[in-house]
Amino acid sequence: MGTFIAIVLSAVLTNNFITVKTYGICPFLGVSKKTSSAAGMGIAVTLVMLLATLVTYPIYTYVMVPLQIEFLEIIFFIFIIASLVQMLEKIIQKVSPSLYGAMGIYLPLITTNCAVLGVTELLIGDMSAILGEGVAMNIGWAALYALFAGLGFTLVMIIMSGMREKLNCYKTPKALAGFPIAMVTACFICMAFAVFGYISL
Amino acid sequence: MNKYKKITLDGLIFQNPTFMLVLGTCPTLGLISSAFSAMGMGLTVLVVLTLSNIIISALRKVIPNSVRIPCYIVIIATLVTFMRMFLEKFLPDLYDSLGGFLALIVVNCIILGRAEAYASKNGVVESAVDGIANGLGFTIALTIMGIICEFLGKGSLFGAQIMDFQIGMLAKPAGAFLVYGICIAVFVYIIDNFERARRVKANKLARENLLKEEA
Amino acid sequence: MSVKEFFKGNVFKCIIALLCVLLVSGIFLTIMNSLLYVTDEERFERAINKIYGKSVKTESVTVADYNSNATINEAYKIKDDGNYLVKSTGKGGFENGTVTCWVVVEVKGGKVSGIGKVVIDSNKNQSYISKISQNFLNSFENNPAKDFYFTTSDGYLTSGASMSSNAICNAVNGAVDFINAKLGNLAEDIYADFEYVKNIITKETSHEYNAETKEVIFHIKTNGFGNAIQFTIDVTVGENGIISDYDIIKNGSTSGYESKMLASILDGSLFIGKDIEGIKGILQNGADLGTIGSLNGSDLITGATQSNYLCLNAAAFAAANYNTIISMEQGGQENE
Repeated sequence: MGTFIAIVLSAVLTNNFITVKTYGICPFLGVSKKTSSAAGMGIAVTLVMLLATLVTYPIYTYVMVPLQIEFLEIIFFIFIIASLVQMLEKIIQKVSPSLYGAMGIYLPLITTNCAVLGVTELLIGDMSAILGEGVAMNIGWAALYALFAGLGFTLVMIIMSGMREKLNCYKTPKALAGFPIAMVTACFICMAFAVFGYISL
Repeated sequence: MNKYKKITLDGLIFQNPTFMLVLGTCPTLGLISSAFSAMGMGLTVLVVLTLSNIIISALRKVIPNSVRIPCYIVIIATLVTFMRMFLEKFLPDLYDSLGGFLALIVVNCIILGRAEAYASKNGVVESAVDGIANGLGFTIALTIMGIICEFLGKGSLFGAQIMDFQIGMLAKPAGAFLVYGICIAVFVYIIDNFERARRVKANKLARENLLKEEA
Repeated sequence: MSVKEFFKGNVFKCIIALLCVLLVSGIFLTIMNSLLYVTDEERFERAINKIYGKSVKTESVTVADYNSNATINEAYKIKDDGNYLVKSTGKGGFENGTVTCWVVVEVKGGKVSGIGKVVIDSNKNQSYISKISQNFLNSFENNPAKDFYFTTSDGYLTSGASMSSNAICNAVNGAVDFINAKLGNLAEDIYADFEYVKNIITKETSHEYNAETKEVIFHIKTNGFGNAIQFTIDVTVGENGIISDYDIIKNGSTSGYESKMLASILDGSLFIGKDIEGIKGILQNGADLGTIGSLNGSDLITGATQSNYLCLNAAAFAAANYNTIISMEQGGQENE
C-alpha cells in the first residue's frame, strides 16, 4: 500500500513529467491552446505511455537482459513505440470512428514525444527511491507508474490550456506573443507544482 | 560560397532551432540549470545532427520514399546509442549530468526535422554544413541560457562558485521556463528590428536606383 | 500478385532497405559495444575516484564493527598513499535514522593521522540533512578532535541538524575505530564489560578513586539519543554504591527541551542517596532500565523523556558499577 501511494504521488505530483522532469514539452506548448484538444492529447499520451510500458518493460527484462543486448534499447524502444502508435491509430479508426475523430489527429505526433520514450527508459533504470526499501520492480508497478505519470501529464496540460484560454482575452505585447507568454505561464504552473516537492515519501 | 553563408546564417540566427523554431525544448528546459550540462547537450546534439545529416544525405537515393522515416529513426537511434557509449566511456562526468536526456536525443525534433527538411533533398557537403550550423545554433542558445540560469540560480559558472547571491528558483524548471521565454522574446525582437532595418535599406536602395534610371 | 511480382515490387525493396539499415546499425553497435563497454570494475573505480578526488588504485579490506554506534559497510586501502577509504553508517537521529558517509582516514607511521574527507552517501529519516553544509564536513578535516574522536558537544554540530550531525560524528568515529583496530591501535576499553553501558560512551568516560573515603567520581559522557545529544555528567558514588553527588556538567537537551526535564533530575536530587536498587525503584515494578519503553507510565515522561532517560542511565551506570571499580582499583593496588 505504501508503495502504491508513493508511486501515485510521485508520478502525478512530486515528479510530474512536465513541471519537474520537463519531458513532453512539445505537445505541452503546441497543443495547449484549447482545453478540449489538451485533454485529448493528454489522454492519448497516457494511453500510449501505458501500452508502451506494458510492451517494453517485459521485452527489456525477459529478452534483452538475458541476451545481453541492453545497449540496443533505444532502437528497440523507439521502434516499439512507433509501431504501437501506428497500430493504435488503425484500431481506433476501425473500432470507434468518433473516438478517432477526437483523438486520432494527436496520435501521429506522439511517436516523437519524449514523455513516452522517457517513461520507458526511466522504468528500466533505478527506481528504488520511489518504490521504497525491499520492494522489487515488476511489470505491475511499472504499468502503474506509467499510467499515473500520463495522468499527471494530462493534469498539467489541462491546467495550462485553461490559463491560455483566459490569456487569449487579453492583449499581449507583440514580442511576448506566442511561445514566450506560454513559457512564462508554464513558469507559474511549475512554481505552484514545486510546492509538492515538500511531500516526502 | 554564398550558399554556405546562407545555410550557416540560417542555422545560427534566422532559423535558429531553439529561439526561432522552438524545437528540442525538453532537453533545453531540463538542462539549462547548469551551463556545463547545457553546453554538453548542445555539443552532443551537434555531433549527432552532423553525422545523421551526412549519412542520410549520402543514402537519400538508396532509401525508398515510403520507409524513409523508419530508416531515419534507426540511423539517429544508432548514432545516439553510439554517443551514449562514447560519453560513458570517455566523459563520465558529462554522461552523468545529461542523465535521461541523452537517450531522448532520438526524439529531438531538430534532428529528425533537419533530416526530413534538408538532408533528404541536398548533397552531402551542404547537409554537413547545415548540421554543423544548426547544431552550433542550438549549442550557443543553450550555453547562453545555461550561463544565465546557473549564474543567477546557483551563483556559479561552469561549476565554479562566484557569488553567494542566488535566486534558487532560476535553477529549477520554473526558472528554466521563465529564462527560455524571455530569451525567445528578446531574440525575436532583435531579429525583427534587424530585418526591418535591412528591408528599409533595401527599399531605399531600389528607389534610388529607380530614380537614377529615370533620370 | 504472383511471387515474382512481389520480389520485383516496391514493397520488397522497402523491406530490404529497412532490413539493411537495421542490420548495419546492429552490427555497428555490437562492435562499438564490445570496444566501449564499461566494466563493473571500471564503474567502481570511477565512483571511488570521484569520492577520493583523484585517480587511485584500491584494494578491498574485510570489515568488522568496533563501535556500537556505527556499522562499517565497505573499506578500501588506497594503494598509492596508504590511506583508507571507509563507508560507514552512523546511528543517531530521528526515528532510529542513520547517515552513511564515505570517510577518508589518513594513516601515517601506522597511526591514524587525520581525516581526509567526509562525503555523505545516503541517509535514513534525516529531515534536516540539507542543512549540513560543506563547511561542517570540512571541519572534520581542518580541525580534528583529540584522538580523532568527534562529538557534537565538542562543536562538530550544525545547528538545526543536531541529530544528523550526531549521526555523522558516529559514522566518522566508527571509521576511525575500525582503522585503529585494523592497525592494532585500538585502546583497551576498561568499561566495556560494565553494566548499563548501552547509552554511555565508554571511551570518553573516566573515574577518580579516592582510597581514603572509598568514593568514586565518575565523569560520564552519554550517547546522543533521539532528540537529545551528548550529556556530560559527574556522579559521585560513596560506600555501598550510594550516589552522594550528581552534577550535569553539560546538558545535551536540544532547543528548549531542557526546561521540560524533571527538576529533580536537573539538580540530581532524584538520584542522591540511592543505590542501584533505589534507581531501579524509580521505575515501577522493577522495569528494565535498558529500554526507554520501560519508562511508560513513570514520572520521567515529561516532554524531554529522552534527556531524562539518558540522565537515569548515567546514574544507573555509576551506581551499578561502583563495586566493580572498587575491586578493580584495590586489585590494582595489591598488584603494586
